[in-house]
Amino acid sequence: MSGFRHGEGRLGDATLNFTFDGKPMLARAGDTVASALLANGVEVVGRSFKYHRPRGVTSSGPEETGALVTIGAGGKADPNARATMEPITKGLEVFSQNCFPSPKFDLMSVNGLAGAILPGSLFSAGFYYKTFMWPAALWYKFYEPSIRAAAGMGVPPKVADPDIYDRVQSFCDVAVVGGGSAGLSAALSAAQSGLRVVLFDEHNDLGGQLLNEANSEANTDLEQWRADTVAALKAASNVKVLTRTVCWGRFDGNMLAAHESVDGKVRQNYHKVQAKKIIIAAGAIERPLVFGNNDKPNVMLASGARRMLNHYGTATGKMLAVFTNNDSAYQTAFDYADAGIKVSAVVDSRQYPGQALVDGCQSRGITLFTQSVVTKAKGWQAVRSIEIADLAANGQSVSNRRRVSCDVLAHSGGWTPQVQMAAHGGKPPLYDKKIAAFVVGDQAPDTYSVGAAEGENGLLAGVAQALHAAKAACAELGEEAGPITQPPQDRDGATNIVPLWSVPAKGKQLVDIQHDVTAADVVQSHQEGFISVEHLKRYTTLGMANDQGRTSNVNALAIMAQCRGISIAEAGTTRFRAPLAPVSMGGFGGREIGKHFKPVRRTPMQEWHEKAGAVFVQAGMYMRPQYYPQAGETIDDAYERETEHVRKKVGICDVTSLGKIEIVGPDAAEFLDRVYINMFSTLKVGKARYGVMLREDGIVYDDGTTSRFAEDRFFMTTTTAKAGPVMAYLERCLEIDWPELKVRVSSVSERWGAMAVAGPDARATLTAAFPSVDFSNETFPFMGVVHAEHNGAKMVILRISFSGEMAYEVYAESEHATDIWQAIIDAGQVHDIVPYGLETLGALRIEKGHVTGAELDGRVTLGDVHMDGMASKKKWFVGKNLKDREGLVHPDRPQLVGLKSVDPRTPISTGSILVTDANATAGADKQGWVSSMTYSPELGNFIALGFLRGGKDRIGERIYAAYPVKGRTVEVEVVSNHFVDPTNERVKG
Amino acid sequence: MMRINCPYCGEREHSEFTYGEDATRTAPDNDAPMEEWNKFVYERDNPAGEHIEYWHHAFGCRAWLKVQRNTFTHDISWVGLPHEHPEAES
Repeated sequence: MSGFRHGEGRLGDATLNFTFDGKPMLARAGDTVASALLANGVEVVGRSFKYHRPRGVTSSGPEETGALVTIGAGGKADPNARATMEPITKGLEVFSQNCFPSPKFDLMSVNGLAGAILPGSLFSAGFYYKTFMWPAALWYKFYEPSIRAAAGMGVPPKVADPDIYDRVQSFCDVAVVGGGSAGLSAALSAAQSGLRVVLFDEHNDLGGQLLNEANSEANTDLEQWRADTVAALKAASNVKVLTRTVCWGRFDGNMLAAHESVDGKVRQNYHKVQAKKIIIAAGAIERPLVFGNNDKPNVMLASGARRMLNHYGTATGKMLAVFTNNDSAYQTAFDYADAGIKVSAVVDSRQYPGQALVDGCQSRGITLFTQSVVTKAKGWQAVRSIEIADLAANGQSVSNRRRVSCDVLAHSGGWTPQVQMAAHGGKPPLYDKKIAAFVVGDQAPDTYSVGAAEGENGLLAGVAQALHAAKAACAELGEEAGPITQPPQDRDGATNIVPLWSVPAKGKQLVDIQHDVTAADVVQSHQEGFISVEHLKRYTTLGMANDQGRTSNVNALAIMAQCRGISIAEAGTTRFRAPLAPVSMGGFGGREIGKHFKPVRRTPMQEWHEKAGAVFVQAGMYMRPQYYPQAGETIDDAYERETEHVRKKVGICDVTSLGKIEIVGPDAAEFLDRVYINMFSTLKVGKARYGVMLREDGIVYDDGTTSRFAEDRFFMTTTTAKAGPVMAYLERCLEIDWPELKVRVSSVSERWGAMAVAGPDARATLTAAFPSVDFSNETFPFMGVVHAEHNGAKMVILRISFSGEMAYEVYAESEHATDIWQAIIDAGQVHDIVPYGLETLGALRIEKGHVTGAELDGRVTLGDVHMDGMASKKKWFVGKNLKDREGLVHPDRPQLVGLKSVDPRTPISTGSILVTDANATAGADKQGWVSSMTYSPELGNFIALGFLRGGKDRIGERIYAAYPVKGRTVEVEVVSNHFVDPTNERVKG
Repeated sequence: MMRINCPYCGEREHSEFTYGEDATRTAPDNDAPMEEWNKFVYERDNPAGEHIEYWHHAFGCRAWLKVQRNTFTHDISWVGLPHEHPEAES
């Protein structure tokens, strides 16, 4: 218990109830979880990532490294939330993390002891790489579970998030990132031009560091300026003010990405804002100093302690001590003293802080220790005293250690400008010695970084930069920014920092408090050869927690630079990447979750299939019937029955998913001659032809049937998978390669429902269904095309076969497709027509030896699938020039073969490797693979298609299909890929 | 997000487009030797800087466009139809 309510700050007196680990607590409206917990005297909020050290609130902003909590329960639970950024709402449930049974008494804190006993072994730098090396078997059994149990942060919820997330796409002329004094000024000035302005700030209240200032009489005018400026912005119709919105990334084309937290039906909005000009006024955050136990609860950043008191009316302790290497932290000591809270010491590592600050301490009765450091924070769970010492003039050693009482230690290691957003533009930041931190320096195009984000901590100077940027941004857009009222007071912001990167004394000195990375880890990383800052980051995991190194980065690379004896500028920073703050996945998903994740395409006959009890399978985006089980049937029973029935009688299958493209124009035939390997200009009107396309490199691209409806009109079908790509390819050919051809292509895939009617009784069935069409072999032979109508519905009927049976493909206008389907079903009753699904479609085509995507996998040549004879020698076509390269026509290439399991009832797994030795092991000579398999009712045997080295000449050989994953090896006989009707009699019957 | 100014539709986000290919290459004659075709299909530059590419406005007007893009900064400095050239514009 050290924090308590003290004054009002800027909050009202309305109160709210919330709970922490189930314990009821009281907060004020406007509190964050952090300020409310402190006000309730909570010191230990959770435990740390690796060592399970107690952790408390360390700041009052986005740089929070200690107080990570889970907000909400069940599906609404949000783990690893920064307590400083989460507003208290009525009845909010807050939970501590990474501790059992409670944050005050945690069983796992033994990890910290182990680290002390075995330095450099458990959890020190590089532990991921060292621990998990070998034996590999221990990875799953031991390392992972034990490390997972020991290390980690919050637990993700196991149930779906019931909240709604939205995405918002918008445009603006000037985007201002950060709503401190500079950002507010830039936004208001730019707004006067009439241009569209968006202002982002991640806090609930605008004002940035103005909110650190005491809300006292002396500051009334400054507070009024803040309020007036905010009110003017909110009133302007051309300004959008987004608070509680973290702008976390800047992308190509000046797109800014931001997550906005909102209260209401929607939990968060993910904004994508397209900006013409970007003014970055993201401010600066305070760095911690690196000394012993600097992660102990009640060690806080000085600015954070100050805002807690001045804005949230929460004193962080009853007795404050301050440790600093610069001027800014003195104000925290002064504000606490002025508020009547005891300040036991200001410890300054510098020799002399200047007379004004010395006087300031003296007049308030604060003891000032100069040329001194805090060597460690002391206390069982939270700070109860500090050990201070004199710092040698060379900064290398300490002496004269003694104890000073306090229950909160506010510290400041200087200020780090928030350069991440500007750095996303691609320019590395530059080191500025004056403030001992990196600044943007070289601005990316259309970007202006101003104020503390650019290293200018002075209030009026920062505002002046902001107004300058607003003027320049508006001018470049042809408008004029307007004047604004200047802040009535100044803060000169000079820090007069003398860097102190780490205190030269032993102890657990944390650099990255979130990831438990110590100064010793950085030194160890150097000793083990990981000296570049990028290696340092990955080896120690420094800066990889959800604060992304905001507080730790500069300290760590300064320590590394010291180890290497180089300057900080030479060491450089790691590359900044988005997101610069933790963002929820919900926003990215937006409403496209669950069944809205991906569109589902349904064929016109979907309802019919559902009523018929079809089991569906997703094929590409399409839902297609897989099989139509009858009572008690398994999938195998069903497809074997359907397959047998098609071979003996007749079946009907929905093939709507095929790509359909109309090709029209005087040069349409010439066009097809160029894209297909075989001739289409000779195709007669009313006929269809099977065609194959190659890629430029001579590999098979796609196949399908193209019909000639008229001299200048063709109808192409593509495979389901290639429907989109082939369409784009044809468009490309016409627009880029052959603009001289007078041809138009249009996708008519949605226009036609398609169904295949196959089997010996197909003709009789269709004749009965559509009496106006003459289906006789004479007028409608194999590869014939007929246009017809049925009850006013247009149809195209192609006599083509994918099954090897006499078959027709009926294309019917989508809106009438189910009627046509039903008409065929009705007419087929006398022949016991059955609908068949994708399984049977596959079984039939494998029996017939037809190839599909499983075979045409982007690696096979025409020769591999025995289609080299189809390639026309009389004309040029795409792929002709390269298809006969040495490697593509080599006789030893894997070639399409049929495979029959020697034991007819033993299945052959798709994906098996073909070998000649039954006991083949990993090093065996792999001679091919199995691409598709089925049970063939016709042959009473499991069969497969596959590719076998030199397969053409190996018919009759017995080899093995090995499937090592399942430890299965099947003896197979190599046969022709045409298992059924190799002479093609049936299709012509 | 890169934004591409489609001559037919206006400026659109690049997610409406799909990348096609290098637009600086010219196909050899149909009867050119295999070596030339091999070069055409397999050998291409990978410049860090200005590059001319084909993009397909797949989720828009479906036009194929020629785009001058800086592969290093992703700045798009010119968009035209496939038979146009950026030099002609400037």
